[in-house]
Amino acid sequence: MAYKHTYSLTAKIWIYPVMAFFVLLSVLPFLYMISLSLQSDAEMFSGQVVVIPEELQFTNYVTIWEKAPFARFILNSFFVAGTIAALHVLFDPLIGYVFAKMEFPGKRFMFVALLSTLMIPFFVRLIPLYIMTAKFGLLNTYTGLIMPFAMSAFGIFLMRQFILPIPDDLIAAARLDGASEPRIFFDIVLPQLGPAIATVALLTFVFQFNEFIWPLVVVSSENMRPITTGLTLFNQEFFTQWNLTAVGGMLLFLPCFLLYLIAQRHFVKSAMLSGMK
Amino acid sequence: MTYRQRRALTAYAFLLPAIVYFIVFFFWPIAIELWASFRSGQPLIGKSEFAGMKNYLYIFQDKLAIKAISATMIYALGSTVFTLLLALGLASILAGPLKARNTIRAILFFPYIVSFVISALMWKSILDPYTGLLNAALLKVGLPPQYWLTDPDAAIWVLVAVSVWKDIGYAVLIYIAAIQGIPSHLYQAAELDGARRHHLFRDITLPLLMPTTLFLAVVIMIASMQEMALPYLMTGGGPANATRLYSLHVYETAFQGLNIGYASALSFVMFLLILLITWVQFKLLNRDIRHV
Repeated sequence: MAYKHTYSLTAKIWIYPVMAFFVLLSVLPFLYMISLSLQSDAEMFSGQVVVIPEELQFTNYVTIWEKAPFARFILNSFFVAGTIAALHVLFDPLIGYVFAKMEFPGKRFMFVALLSTLMIPFFVRLIPLYIMTAKFGLLNTYTGLIMPFAMSAFGIFLMRQFILPIPDDLIAAARLDGASEPRIFFDIVLPQLGPAIATVALLTFVFQFNEFIWPLVVVSSENMRPITTGLTLFNQEFFTQWNLTAVGGMLLFLPCFLLYLIAQRHFVKSAMLSGMK
Repeated sequence: MTYRQRRALTAYAFLLPAIVYFIVFFFWPIAIELWASFRSGQPLIGKSEFAGMKNYLYIFQDKLAIKAISATMIYALGSTVFTLLLALGLASILAGPLKARNTIRAILFFPYIVSFVISALMWKSILDPYTGLLNAALLKVGLPPQYWLTDPDAAIWVLVAVSVWKDIGYAVLIYIAAIQGIPSHLYQAAELDGARRHHLFRDITLPLLMPTTLFLAVVIMIASMQEMALPYLMTGGGPANATRLYSLHVYETAFQGLNIGYASALSFVMFLLILLITWVQFKLLNRDIRHV
């Protein structure tokens, strides 16, 4: 811990208001969304500052399901993000283990090639991926939505970093005892990776739940839209109905908000990991 | 077969799905895009012929592309500079003995986690000239309403502000960790030598944060150079193409103009630029992957 001094009274007088301002600014759009989602049309168009609506319009939360298939949107989002997170849980630890603890010709080259994919921006892959997806006949399918994100170097790299500190002696001893590599992986390595796997699963899920560009490009039928593009196109169609867009926003907001409340530690930790050198 | 060979074979067997996946979904797309960028006609989707550098040279004649490049530069530089300055200030306060600092940190980080679609749409709604919160508040205190997103000079800065708002929590988080990693004996020694507090910040904290600052600058810069969702959601690239960021231009060239060859060249130029920035960062930070 660096500075161990305490703040003087004069410092406190300006520090707390400044912090309060930034905290309020951070949550403003979300508070506004809650307020907006409960406003009547008349209140919304009144041109007044409405903080707490006079009469809470819970009916907005009912009408939204009739205007667009929001239940389907949410289901699509959960299915796609959930499948991608599951694929990462399946593959990332295994491949991380190979790079952390196994020796084979070409290891260094393959690892560098893997890391180099981190430098390929998604938007550079967008056009060819779209054309490939179209040629495979996978536009407007779950498979098409899932494929480009099924594996990523980031998750594999993270797993490798977690596996590296596991003592080599432990693994060597198991090998001497005649344990096969799959056995070593499942019985020795995997049980120690619980928190790391939870972090990867959580992050992958949230990022995929929020994914916007790819579904915008590969999905044209309304029923296959995840909630991100579903809400956006709903907003373009009902562009004056901000209160209904806010209700849809709540549906997109709540799952991630709940996950953040429960697992804030994981998010903070993994963001720090990405910044460590 | 020796034990060594058997183990190598096991490793390759484990890696096989990943090798196939990364070739098909990462290296192959880049390869065919590079190929398409040298073709005119309908590369990848129809008939095409070799066109040499024609697509790359056309960028200089494409007024929209030039406009997009300058808008993207303003956006990327503005986002990076303001995010870093504000985050450094906030982090140096939050690294100190402040009550509730972990809660504040968690709240500042929250916009980074939430879907960008929500943030962009809600800010758009707040800035709506007729029904938005901000103009209602301005009217209430007797100021004229502002047309934030329809004024070509203001709109790009609104996007910068939203991007700073979103990224600041992440930068604060990284900065706090870096500040807390500075050994306290450095400060103690300097204080014994009679250094004042603002000197401590200028002569110890700031120089030791250089690698972190560089890292954050590159991460935020690269991310903002590729930003497409924000203008798509908030302005559609307008008014008068003032917020038509580069990625949006590429997206529209490819998916609305169906000009695949030219769009490929555009995105390859961006790719090379990003690689260059990453390479410079590598050189400056002197990072290597020697412990592979």
